[in-house]
Amino acid sequence: MSTLDATRETARRPLVGRRVHLGDVILQVAAGGAALGTVVLLGLLVYKVVQGARLSISTFGLGFVTHVGWDPLHNAMGAGNLLFGTAVTALGALLLATPLAMGIALFLTELAPRAIRGPVTALVETLAAIPSVVIGLWGIIVLGPVLRDHVEPALHSTFGFIPLFGTPSSTGTGIFTAIVVLTIMILPIISSISRELFLGVPGELKEGALGLGTTRWEMVRGVMFPYARGGIAAAMILGLGRAVGEAIAVAQVVGAFDGGVSWNLFNNGDTLAGKIALEFQSSGTNLETASLFYVALILLVFSLAVNVLAQVIVRRVDRAQGRTV
Amino acid sequence: MSAADVSVLQRPNDKLVRRRAFNRGMEVLAWVAAALAVALLGVLVWSVAKRGASELNLDLITKSPAANEFSLNPTSGGLANAFVGTFIIVGIATAMALPFGILVAIYVNEFAPRAVKNFLSPSLDILNGIPAIVIGIFVFGLLVVGHGQSGLAGAFALAILMLPLVARATIEVLALVPNSLREASLGLGVPRWRTTLGIVLPQTIGGILTGTVLAVARVAGETAPLLFTSSIVGTSTSWNPTQALQSIPVAIFELSESATPADHARAWAAALVLLLFILFTSLIARWLANRSRRKIARAG
Amino acid sequence: MPRNGKLLRITLLLAAAAVLGAFAVASAGAAGKRSAGTLKGAGSSLVAPAVAQWGTMYTADQIQYSALGSGAGITAISNRTVDFGASDAPLTKSQGSDCHGCAQIPWALTATIPVYNIPGVSDHQLKLTGTVLANIYLGNITNWSDPAIKKINSGLNLPDKKITVVHRSDGSGDTYVFTDYLSKVNHTWKTKVGAATTVSWPAGVGGNKNAGVAALVQSTPGSIGYVSDFYAIQNHITKARLKNAAGSYVLPKIASIEAAAQLVKGTKIPANNKISLTNPPKSKKYKNAWPMSTFTYVIIPTQTQKAAELKAFVKFALSANAQNAIKKLIFAPMPSVVLKAANKTLATIHS
Repeated sequence: MSTLDATRETARRPLVGRRVHLGDVILQVAAGGAALGTVVLLGLLVYKVVQGARLSISTFGLGFVTHVGWDPLHNAMGAGNLLFGTAVTALGALLLATPLAMGIALFLTELAPRAIRGPVTALVETLAAIPSVVIGLWGIIVLGPVLRDHVEPALHSTFGFIPLFGTPSSTGTGIFTAIVVLTIMILPIISSISRELFLGVPGELKEGALGLGTTRWEMVRGVMFPYARGGIAAAMILGLGRAVGEAIAVAQVVGAFDGGVSWNLFNNGDTLAGKIALEFQSSGTNLETASLFYVALILLVFSLAVNVLAQVIVRRVDRAQGRTV
Repeated sequence: MSAADVSVLQRPNDKLVRRRAFNRGMEVLAWVAAALAVALLGVLVWSVAKRGASELNLDLITKSPAANEFSLNPTSGGLANAFVGTFIIVGIATAMALPFGILVAIYVNEFAPRAVKNFLSPSLDILNGIPAIVIGIFVFGLLVVGHGQSGLAGAFALAILMLPLVARATIEVLALVPNSLREASLGLGVPRWRTTLGIVLPQTIGGILTGTVLAVARVAGETAPLLFTSSIVGTSTSWNPTQALQSIPVAIFELSESATPADHARAWAAALVLLLFILFTSLIARWLANRSRRKIARAG
Repeated sequence: MPRNGKLLRITLLLAAAAVLGAFAVASAGAAGKRSAGTLKGAGSSLVAPAVAQWGTMYTADQIQYSALGSGAGITAISNRTVDFGASDAPLTKSQGSDCHGCAQIPWALTATIPVYNIPGVSDHQLKLTGTVLANIYLGNITNWSDPAIKKINSGLNLPDKKITVVHRSDGSGDTYVFTDYLSKVNHTWKTKVGAATTVSWPAGVGGNKNAGVAALVQSTPGSIGYVSDFYAIQNHITKARLKNAAGSYVLPKIASIEAAAQLVKGTKIPANNKISLTNPPKSKKYKNAWPMSTFTYVIIPTQTQKAAELKAFVKFALSANAQNAIKKLIFAPMPSVVLKAANKTLATIHS
């Protein structure tokens, strides 16, 4: 029909009470259902973990969190040394990875010649893509012997007066090996987020500082770090979360020792996630299975806390940036 | 200003020298850090490449593990069951996660009221941050207890890992589509569903593809979700996802703890193939992202 | 301008993918049903060589076995994720009830052995007693040059090297046999640690499965561990001699395992088939007995859909033909009284 007829036809349609298309309903229901499903999934996950842990929670209560030792034969299990191992390995990795990541990010944004900026960025992101089981494989076969035969004895002879660097490991496994492996894994996360943050620092601020006569480092310290401070904190927390949740690579190199806690980094230990990976399938009693679910619950609580904290920081930083820029 | 004052300004004093030296020191440290990262990656990739390449042959991919691994003179086999298993499990996981991720993204970006959006978006981030091992025991408790392991259960666990990645990528590209496009379409009388599926979504296919490919690269190497859902396998190669299927990461994990150098060699070879696959898919994702970025720049 | 072709394609694709995905998720719950003609088992790595051998001989069904460790085998059959479980450790009372009506049937007889890696000491040279072994694993003896070890190894040049203790990190039947033996020879071990598939080890590093323990021992000079006998032979790991109650330093050969199995002759096998062969007493009968011998069990639900197939397979495993075939893998022939009890329990399996 002619354009005039079509317009008349459209005008004749009632303005109120638009036709509800079946397609609209279907799409909204489907999409809404998927969104609801996601939330339900999350809730179901938390529920299942809590339900699985119920027997252990009622048997051990909160004492489980501090009890050291894993003795399923005598029904005395606890996450004490697992929490210690998780804390030491994750914080150790964060301590090693953060300065390295900052250095890399600064290098890529400020110092690198334009030609190598792209390839090096790609290289660091490739590091992030290596699966944890491959890093663990490398850790067992390549890193372990190197640490056992060269690095740990050297550290022990130089810094042996610090309890952290006690008797070197005889097997190449241990907390220290786990720290090195985790450092490699979280390094790309922190560095790529930091790099994006540094790239986002407004040029005027940087040039202003340089124009006032600061050296490059003073500009970084005085302008870039404060500007990116919140984001860097969030990146570090995300890296920490990753280190805490890593099960496979840690299980391969940490040594699986639950007899106690020690400050010697070269000793074997165990972590929350590593314990689940090694023991869950062969857990012999209902109480032991429930205790492993309890360990998973502790892990879940921690990763949720880390996640929420990172989001809060990012939101606060966004708001702050919105005001100053 | 007298000549004496100007010369004071021009003469470098101790403090300036110190500051410059410190700056130089920091620059050196930054270079060292970058060199260390490159060296680390180099060592890792070199280890995998060197040790894996020597064992890498067609047998690895086409032959199943030897059935006589427990006899006195075991022959070496391949890892065909692991390659087939990973292919099927990751494929099914993608089929599960892709439509769900897109639908969730459509809801968040097109339909959800602000309050719901502020609840859903962090929920996706939380789901993303849950350790893979916890997801593994969740799916074990949900689908495996009483029924048995299966490739499908493993795929479901991987799909849970992929969902936030696909959804977030889709949300981001949906947000990039200008509202004027939607309003123009609605103004012409096109129903909502047609607008979303026929006009907005086609613009985002590049971004969705990128996000999906990245998600595939991420989960192809995941071991923890499959440890309890699809790990009790024999030596024969199966294509049946209702049974437990071997997968490359689980195979590497098991072989890495072995005592025999032959097992280690196979682990390295499998690791090399896995690494190459992940690098390859990451490159494709990057190429796709660049292509869609150029398309949007051209259209905009 | 919306192009109908593209819209239609996208909608159909999305709908198809959603349906496929939903179907896959739904069937994942119902999945895990083993296909006809396959018997799926998991558990003890000690018995894995025997099961593999039987698998090549048995034609009625395809046997798929995963050597995950005895603990995992018990858990797997309790959760019914496999058709049969295999464990060197008999079910404890709570495991028995958690399994909801399972029967355990002894179907092979072999041994666990201590292994070591001491520079300068070759295969079969090191002699150990139960007390020394217990003290090493308790962390009381920490160096190979300790006088307690030197006393029983007078001819050996033991280096001044720290002992690295290696044990299993997963639930293991070998651990059960090892700790069962230590509990019998050392009172401190019995009260402090006990015997089970997973114990709280006072010292040492954990390896995952036999392979993990072997890997750690072979790569760490000065280490000591324990693995199944056949595994030690297959992987050329140096084995230690153990002093039995009769006073001889023996090795686990078929004859010495058979001698230990004499323990059951003339006794009544309990209804749950729980038999311990560790540390046979001081008597001429057990002069050459290996102190860490063990039966290994197949665990089947008393009521199962696959009763007929499972019964046929286990019956085959208990047959003379099958038992002879695994002799070369260091599985000793089982005493007739045990075979009788095994077949009796097997008859109670029904669908």
